Amino acid sequence: MEKGKKLQIKPYLYLLPVMSFLLFIFFFGLGTSILQSLGYNSDGGFQSVTMAHYRDVFRSSAFVSGLLFSLRTSLISTGIAVVFGVGLAYLMMRQKKEWRLFRALLTLPVIVPHLVAAFIIFTIFSQSGMIARVGVLMGMIEHPREFPALIFDRQGVGVVLAYVWKGAPFVFLILYQVLRSIHGDMVEAARNLGAGGKDLLLQIYLPLSLPSIFSTFILLFAFSFGSYEIPFLLGPTAPRALPVLAYVEHIQPDWSNRPYAMAMNMVLAGISVLLVWIYHRVFKLFRRHHWEERSQ
Amino acid sequence: MKIRLWKVLLVVTALLFVLPVLMVLLWSVTVSWPFPDLFPREFGLRGLSQIFREGSRALGSLAVSLRISLWVTLLTLMITIPGGKALGIYKFPGKGFIKLLLLAPLIVSPVAIGMGIHGTFIRLGLTNTELGVVLIHLFPGIPYGIRIFTNVFEMVGNRLEEQGKVLGANGLQVFFHLTLPTILPGVISAGSMIFIISFSQYFLTFLIGGGNVITFPLMMVPYIQSGDRMMAASYSAVFIVATLIALVAIERVLKLYYRRSSGLSGVFYTREKR
Repeated sequence: MEKGKKLQIKPYLYLLPVMSFLLFIFFFGLGTSILQSLGYNSDGGFQSVTMAHYRDVFRSSAFVSGLLFSLRTSLISTGIAVVFGVGLAYLMMRQKKEWRLFRALLTLPVIVPHLVAAFIIFTIFSQSGMIARVGVLMGMIEHPREFPALIFDRQGVGVVLAYVWKGAPFVFLILYQVLRSIHGDMVEAARNLGAGGKDLLLQIYLPLSLPSIFSTFILLFAFSFGSYEIPFLLGPTAPRALPVLAYVEHIQPDWSNRPYAMAMNMVLAGISVLLVWIYHRVFKLFRRHHWEERSQ
Repeated sequence: MKIRLWKVLLVVTALLFVLPVLMVLLWSVTVSWPFPDLFPREFGLRGLSQIFREGSRALGSLAVSLRISLWVTLLTLMITIPGGKALGIYKFPGKGFIKLLLLAPLIVSPVAIGMGIHGTFIRLGLTNTELGVVLIHLFPGIPYGIRIFTNVFEMVGNRLEEQGKVLGANGLQVFFHLTLPTILPGVISAGSMIFIISFSQYFLTFLIGGGNVITFPLMMVPYIQSGDRMMAASYSAVFIVATLIALVAIERVLKLYYRRSSGLSGVFYTREKR
């Protein structure tokens, strides 16, 4: 239908609306942050390009501890959620029945917003929460004060719990589909060749679902690293998670503070962009690997 | 025996994820549930009635939320359906980069983007307006639309559309009578996803809405912060139920549309006869 390799204009036209919107957001969203963090001033332009704001930001202990807090809570919560979700998906896939209701119920945490998730974790794990009440019933504690402070704590246990509760079902839903799509000819063939349950898991299911596991990991990690609601509602005031800290800087009325806010913003965005890059790289790797296997 | 153990494990984990939601629903109809009781002492509808009182701010904010999220869903679908089509059907230079860019909002922190673009929105007069909030809500939903429609168009291709054109249908007719019915399942799942994402936004709404555009999540947060369990639970319950109703409604409306237009031949037939 289309002649030869002539450059087509159609796909670009189709992409025009969504691309112009997104480029607008990225250009102005990241562009102004970069410029201002390097010392650009909307009144006077550049006095001089400077890295001083970044240097100062990295010297501030509030920033460094906030960054570490964000990285740590995101990494731990994502790790637990992925292990949980993948395990559940694998177990579920091995079941003979479909367990429709079970899967429908597990989608609940996915559609429940993060605000509600924060409230749920608060109601269960706070010092007067459900677990503390069970503790009283069992005679382990007498007063709410004696229950360990898991919410608003410096370690961010509450933050981690909330992300796990939201994340694990998400991983489950995606991985269940992926594993189901593997289930079939290849598994049959492996069985015929004498593979046991463990072989199937390690030689077939795991390697074939690895790209999906990895991509959900990156998605969840990036989400929990870059979002505001959960650490705002369940996190400690010191250290503050990076998004919360950046927002606090952002609303400072003093304009001389602006470059610092933007420098923090850039670190936040920069780590996200780094993640996009890793995601892209690793996928290229997976794809090459996959193709090699196919061509053999 | 071993199998049974796994089953028990599955059920227990399911409860771990589902019971908390039930607990919220229980709290929403509770008036008194003091420490260290494990069950409510007194049930009542005080929390819920406070939300549904006529002319209450809560009810108003629910309307604002629904309006914003429906606009966001519609607009996001309008830009991601053609975008997904381009990526699903055509091969063209720069495709890899464009794909990556369109999926980037999944990973790039919306907090960073929101604060970065805040100044621009102020200059354009978009802050404190519903329009501004709708626009910024488009950002997080785009990748979901793009992803789903890319997959959908990879599967269905554009043969049917080509045929329609050969038979003399114009662009709009082809879209509404051929393309849309074919991709409907994708429209439903993408639409639901985009709706949920917009409906549960908090940060971007208060950043761009500037306290002027009060959505349901914005009304809810003070109660969560102050630990007012009854009110927070009532809001959460209404939120969850409203989401479910909206999702079912979106699906119903689209299916209804599908049934009406599924006489695929209709439009061409009338053209022929003319």
